Amino acid sequence: MTEAGKYAVGTFSVGDTVPPLERRIGLADMVAYAGATWDWYRLHYDPEYVKKAQVPGPVVDGQVFGALLVEQIQDWLGPQSFVHKLDFTFKALVFAEEIVRCEGSVTEVGEDYLVLEQRVVVVGPDGEAARVAAAPARARVLLGTPDGPAAG
Amino acid sequence: MKLLTDEVRALVGSKRVYTAPEEFGGAAGRYFGLAIGDHNPLYSDPEYARAQGLRGVTAPLTLICETNQYANLPIPADGYAGHEWGIEIPGTRKVRGGNSYTFHRRIRPDDVVTATWEITDVTGKTTRSGAEMLIISSKATYTDRNGGLLAENEETIIFVELEGGQ
Repeated sequence: MTEAGKYAVGTFSVGDTVPPLERRIGLADMVAYAGATWDWYRLHYDPEYVKKAQVPGPVVDGQVFGALLVEQIQDWLGPQSFVHKLDFTFKALVFAEEIVRCEGSVTEVGEDYLVLEQRVVVVGPDGEAARVAAAPARARVLLGTPDGPAAG
Repeated sequence: MKLLTDEVRALVGSKRVYTAPEEFGGAAGRYFGLAIGDHNPLYSDPEYARAQGLRGVTAPLTLICETNQYANLPIPADGYAGHEWGIEIPGTRKVRGGNSYTFHRRIRPDDVVTATWEITDVTGKTTRSGAEMLIISSKATYTDRNGGLLAENEETIIFVELEGGQ
């Protein structure tokens, strides 16, 4: 990237891989997330409630996947980028202490934007994707700007 | 298509508006970053944020769509203190479909957020196994104290008929 915050022509190509982001989501993280979002839904941390719901463990709040997908992009492209649009579809529940991995690649390159396809998978013991937690996911990212079009 | 009743159709256009009782605050973004393991200094270091062209610290982008901070609602028995439409459909299970976010600018600690929720569509479908589904689409529009757009969040909630209507 140049000092003016612009990426040089040819920096990105369709098919480029976004460096993956991997994260173990522990129960303490989930409790912190509940506090940070003012969302104390008991399915995310309460063993009694979880048992009644007949699920294998506390369920990770699916919206955290959106946060991780943005983090993956921001970590890769740095502060002179802005995720303008992001959409994702939930596929499977994720449970406390599981490891998720955000994966992605470039599908479109514009003069001042990128379009990315992403997904969130649960990582199995062999490091492979054991199941898909969120997909498809798609992001449109503005380049050369730290903020969005309404920043003024 | 018994789930898609006239009563359900009449939900389209329903609106709820919430205005936060105070400014968003810098700690909200820093705390959220800590909770999700995102240690980007944009959320904690005002000098760094200003060097990047921002007015100061901000929050991870999706926080505005994830937090219930603005709603100022009491904590119910199930713990969820955010916006809900209160739609209950017997004989179904409720699952989340997905989200579609548009971010117009980064949130600032002195922003006072207003969230306007609206039901935009209700659709009935049948699964391959023959069970009925009801898809409720909502949109939240987040604005600042001057009515400027901060973000939009479209989400779908799906009610799936249980086998045998149980």
